[in-house]
Amino acid sequence: MALVDASLFASTDPVALQGSSCSACGTQVFPAQGSCPTCTSVSVSPVALPTEGTVWSWTTQHFAPKAPFRTDGFVPFSIGYVDLGPVIVEGWLLNKTDWHIGERVRLELAKAWTEDDGTVVHTYGFAATS
Amino acid sequence: MSAAKSHDEVYIVGGGMTAFGRFDGEDQALAEEAMRGALADAGLSWNDVDIAVGGTNGETKPDNMVGRMGLSGIPFTTVKNGCATGGVALMTARNGLIAEQSDIACVVGYDNHSRGAFAASPSRYGIGEWYGATGMMVTTSYFALKIRRYLHEHGIDERTLGYASQKAFDYGSSHPLAWRRKPVSVDEALESDMINDPLTRFMFCSPDAGAVSLILARGPRAFDLCENPVRLAAAVLRGRRPGSFEVFSPWLSPGERTGPSIDAAKAAFAIAGIAAADVDVAQLQDTDSGAEIIHLGETGLCVDGEQGAGYVNGDYVIDGRLPVNTDGGCLANGEPVGASGLRQVHEVMRQLQGRAQGQQVPNNPRIGFTHVYGAPGISACTVLVKEGKGA
Ligand SMILES: [Zn+2]
Repeated sequence: MALVDASLFASTDPVALQGSSCSACGTQVFPAQGSCPTCTSVSVSPVALPTEGTVWSWTTQHFAPKAPFRTDGFVPFSIGYVDLGPVIVEGWLLNKTDWHIGERVRLELAKAWTEDDGTVVHTYGFAATS
Repeated sequence: MSAAKSHDEVYIVGGGMTAFGRFDGEDQALAEEAMRGALADAGLSWNDVDIAVGGTNGETKPDNMVGRMGLSGIPFTTVKNGCATGGVALMTARNGLIAEQSDIACVVGYDNHSRGAFAASPSRYGIGEWYGATGMMVTTSYFALKIRRYLHEHGIDERTLGYASQKAFDYGSSHPLAWRRKPVSVDEALESDMINDPLTRFMFCSPDAGAVSLILARGPRAFDLCENPVRLAAAVLRGRRPGSFEVFSPWLSPGERTGPSIDAAKAAFAIAGIAAADVDVAQLQDTDSGAEIIHLGETGLCVDGEQGAGYVNGDYVIDGRLPVNTDGGCLANGEPVGASGLRQVHEVMRQLQGRAQGQQVPNNPRIGFTHVYGAPGISACTVLVKEGKGA
């Protein structure tokens, strides 16, 4: 599967985001990086992040962002921060444009854009759990 | 106070500012206009200047201004710190005067931006291209996400955003150098086009053009040049710590919220030996109306959550408890990034000296405060104190 950036994902089936966890202080960050911004340690290792959480904040993007934004056709879409427990992750909020803080959501793959050769590129997003 | 005349004290003794808005010419023509205005205001010539500091977010080199002003051989330092550039330029000049035991510094900030929101490249911020490609590298969405959470945590009504806009355009409408001079009602602000909910078109500032220059003097020299020199009682720059919520952040820490504005303001008040409650007039970074609300709380000028009632009660208007952004702030002036922080200081200097170009804060204000904040998480704050006659 074509992804916006394969390094964001621990796996795609089932889908999980790849962060990194600090062995010294426990801080988790996303995407994974080679050092800990909290305690300065370089003793960090990859970790698959939780896939369910709650909406921490949200907005709906009512105008098409400038390049390098890519889309097959702009329609307003929501983005938000999702509290996954050990870390709060920013991402698309899928399938609707009106949200409330505290709403429960689950990680999913989402279509980002289609390349000229027809390849569909995917990113991650969070959908409301019904 | 006699201690205030010490050689380690630095004062603002003059300022010059161009009109803000759209500008067709060269950005350094704006800078020159501001610098000549500042020198005239201080009663000095370029040959009197010992050191200079210039800031812009654009492509021209501020130190090239010596070609226009005169090749006097002085050290000219260039700074570039995003939205905090003006604050950093001022602080650099203050530190330079003290370190070099010089007398007179000229500070200038300018920019001439093209239309539309800033387009940012992920790689410049150390983020993967995916972040821009998926439409998250957008400053307006960051402002919306931050104020949504802030309003939620502190129980502030969304209508407060409309009050902040209404206040800004009210003061802009009476300031001769402001860009946006048409008053907007609370309801008009709330009902204008939605950009990133909860923020509408009338709740954002836009990039534009403008230049501001200030003349600083060290020690007793300031009192020879100016009847009411404004003492730079503190000028502090701080960066982010774990727990801050900054623009272009794919992740946040779930722990306690921190912020560079909280740290910079706290340090500035401590260094100045002045309490936030003693401030008579303030300028806060208001790239959107939510930012003004957040920064009121973060700088300690009010208690988080108090803003809802504060705007309704008129606490932050010209004759209120704490007049804020009395020239209309970034909302009414736009944001020429290099000039914006110095516009704030220029406005507060004039308010303290009783010669505001727009509406004047009544009752002889003596203590001022300014705050800028920028990507990727830095804040510069100043505490300004009127000295001299009548202070
Ligand atoms: Zn750590």
